[in-house]
Amino acid sequence: MARRFGARYEVGFQVAVDAFLALVLAVVAVPLLRVIVTSVAPLSPEGIPGFAFLVTPWRWTFEAYRQLLGHRSFLNAAYISVVVTIGGTALNLVLTMLLAYALSVRTLPGRPFFSFLILVPFLFNPGLIPTYLVVTRLGLIDKLWAIILPTAINITNTFIMRNFFAALPEELKEAARMDGAGDWHIVLRIIPPLARPIILTIGLYYAVGHWNEFFAPILYLNNAKLQPLPVLLRNILLAANLNEYVEYDAYSAAPVQALKAASVIITTLPMALIYPWIQRYFTKGTLAGGIKG
Amino acid sequence: MAKRLLLIGTVALLATVVASVAVAQKNVDLEFWVGASVSEAGPPPDNWRAYQIVRDRLGINWKIVLLPSTLGDQDTKINAAAAANNLPDLFQVNRDAWYKLAKAGLLAPVDSLLTAMPVRTMTHYDDVVARKMVTLNKVMYGLPEPGQMPMTDGFVVRKDWLDKLGLKEPKNLDEFMTVAKAFTERDPDGNGKADTYGFGAYLESSGLQQAGLGLRFEWVFGAFGVAGTWNTQDAKSFGLNARKSEFLKALQFIKGMVDAKIMDPDWNILKKDEYRARWKQGRWGMMHENFAALSTVANYKDFDKNFPNGLWVAPPPPVGPEGKSAENVLLKNVRVQAISQRAAKAGKLGAIAKLLEWMAHDEGYILLGFGYEGEHFKRDKNGNITVEGIPAEKQWTAKAQQPFTQLRNLVFINTDVELKARYVPFKTNNGRLQDPLAYWNAFRSYPYTDSTGAAIINPPANAADFVRYYSENVMKFVVGQQPLDEKSWTDWVAGLDKLGAKELEAAAKAALTEAGFLD
Repeated sequence: MARRFGARYEVGFQVAVDAFLALVLAVVAVPLLRVIVTSVAPLSPEGIPGFAFLVTPWRWTFEAYRQLLGHRSFLNAAYISVVVTIGGTALNLVLTMLLAYALSVRTLPGRPFFSFLILVPFLFNPGLIPTYLVVTRLGLIDKLWAIILPTAINITNTFIMRNFFAALPEELKEAARMDGAGDWHIVLRIIPPLARPIILTIGLYYAVGHWNEFFAPILYLNNAKLQPLPVLLRNILLAANLNEYVEYDAYSAAPVQALKAASVIITTLPMALIYPWIQRYFTKGTLAGGIKG
Repeated sequence: MAKRLLLIGTVALLATVVASVAVAQKNVDLEFWVGASVSEAGPPPDNWRAYQIVRDRLGINWKIVLLPSTLGDQDTKINAAAAANNLPDLFQVNRDAWYKLAKAGLLAPVDSLLTAMPVRTMTHYDDVVARKMVTLNKVMYGLPEPGQMPMTDGFVVRKDWLDKLGLKEPKNLDEFMTVAKAFTERDPDGNGKADTYGFGAYLESSGLQQAGLGLRFEWVFGAFGVAGTWNTQDAKSFGLNARKSEFLKALQFIKGMVDAKIMDPDWNILKKDEYRARWKQGRWGMMHENFAALSTVANYKDFDKNFPNGLWVAPPPPVGPEGKSAENVLLKNVRVQAISQRAAKAGKLGAIAKLLEWMAHDEGYILLGFGYEGEHFKRDKNGNITVEGIPAEKQWTAKAQQPFTQLRNLVFINTDVELKARYVPFKTNNGRLQDPLAYWNAFRSYPYTDSTGAAIINPPANAADFVRYYSENVMKFVVGQQPLDEKSWTDWVAGLDKLGAKELEAAAKAALTEAGFLD
């Protein structure tokens, strides 16, 4: 009797969990589906793009994608975004790893002081103007470094990584030292294979930030050839929107809603493709860094 | 002999090199931050002829930076540069930001520049009101470029729907409601569905000058004689229109439109692009729209495709109970170009004047406004701009050529030649000739409420809070989220006073009186 009740309870519980997860999936999938449908919906008297959830094969168009991908600055902007994302993330990871490793070494002289020191800008953000002044004085205006260097080290990510490093068996480092390895060797050769989950996880955080970078480029980059993809896409959308000032047939071949949705898809896709590739490390990396302090 | 010739040749070569280096060294570096005419198109190409002319003939190394696309982002970039004392030599700035920079002493006085550029001053800066907009303590701290054309927005009706239902253009507010109900209930598009509305709008307020529901509803306030935030008719009646009982009546009329369900129910959440998508899809039969957004070939083609026999007409705006009417308020609109104090200290004012003056002459005007003559456009015997005989992809209006005319806002002054070139008549799908300027001319022939003086009212420190309180409560009144009667309206006005309305009115009145706008 009790066993049968237990089995029923398990089935009931499983059904409830499945239903809940299906609901969560719907909450995520329906807006995404709507964005996809809107991006291929034509402008027509019967339906407003984006307000239908299903697209029929005879009423869809890739005009919005054609306009965005076919823009003559698209390839250059995408190239800049890729350079900033790869270069910035690599720099982020190297600097964050070095700082995190140093802070994870318990014998580091003045360790509490250094930990406190890097917490200060974390707690008291300097704000836009001081950052702008620093970037200007360093002569970084109109250089891609202006959007990479100011965010080279994220304090939260540093502490997550420090915790991960601190949780690694001390014996491993001791063994390496006994074999003649110094700190540089340990941090560059011994730790990375062991810390792959946290490196990939934090790398993803950094990469998403760089890929979506919008504000810093418009502030620091005056040269239009250095503008990354988010800035270009926004410019295209605004050009399509300001139709009382555009007196010729240049930018309205696709509905503005479709352009918006297509730009969302275009900017999301690269990160969405990368994520499954490192998903297996993601939970492990986040939890491992967050548990032990 | 050969040695002598070689020596002479070498000396001549050296002299040329030294001379060219000297010329290059004499050149002044000027950096302009300007708003793009078409945000996605990018700046002019590196080999743009204007760069070469300006360098070789004016002795100026000209660098152009296109500002970010939105006013908010532009302000952020300019304010950050101002804080770092890193403002460019000349930059476009909205008036509120200009006011703060001028008060902070970061802008150069420009009065003395006007005599150095006589043609430009005559064609661009001869408007007294525009000059007052960039004047602080009797000193001009900016160059008021002619902005958007005036009287561009007006009341329009679907004539094909009127004809189908046997109705006439509404002449007053009662007739407006009758037509609106018919458009909502009598299936004017004949598709058998109840999917149309009498009136469509969206919220488009513009700060202190046009707070509340914004310009798409000004024709209603105009019918009650209270269009715009400010009553600038005379010194005696000067103040906020919100204090007048007619304002309450106008709000009650709009609430009546909402309650009667003759408006697209999404009107208060629609964005501009959604609003424009909807009238192109035949959602409503009356609206208040910009003439270019309504009728140019690019903007009309989707509506034309959906409704080949559709026709928007521009009747006079409906009159109110006392016979008053207005299409909109008449506001002064300028693009402020400011010169940094830093540029003045570096002795660049003369070079800036020289460059701006060149733009006002035929060569600069044509080059910046329309591109290369013969390649992007031609001029007919009357001097009008034409694209006849120019391949479509090379025409000055073609997408690929937009970088060549990105700085046209620095030269356009809304002359007949410009307007004819920009707003070209075309044939619709059913063969009807549509002339965008005919709509503009119709709008201009109807009454507007003159509020040009309001342009020089400087924003108080709490301007954002003031406008937010004003606009949010007006919205709550008309959608029924709070009662709309004498008491609630009086309480709302008292709330405005708590936010400094009386002090704002006093300061505004003093400014307008001093500037000669109030008797």
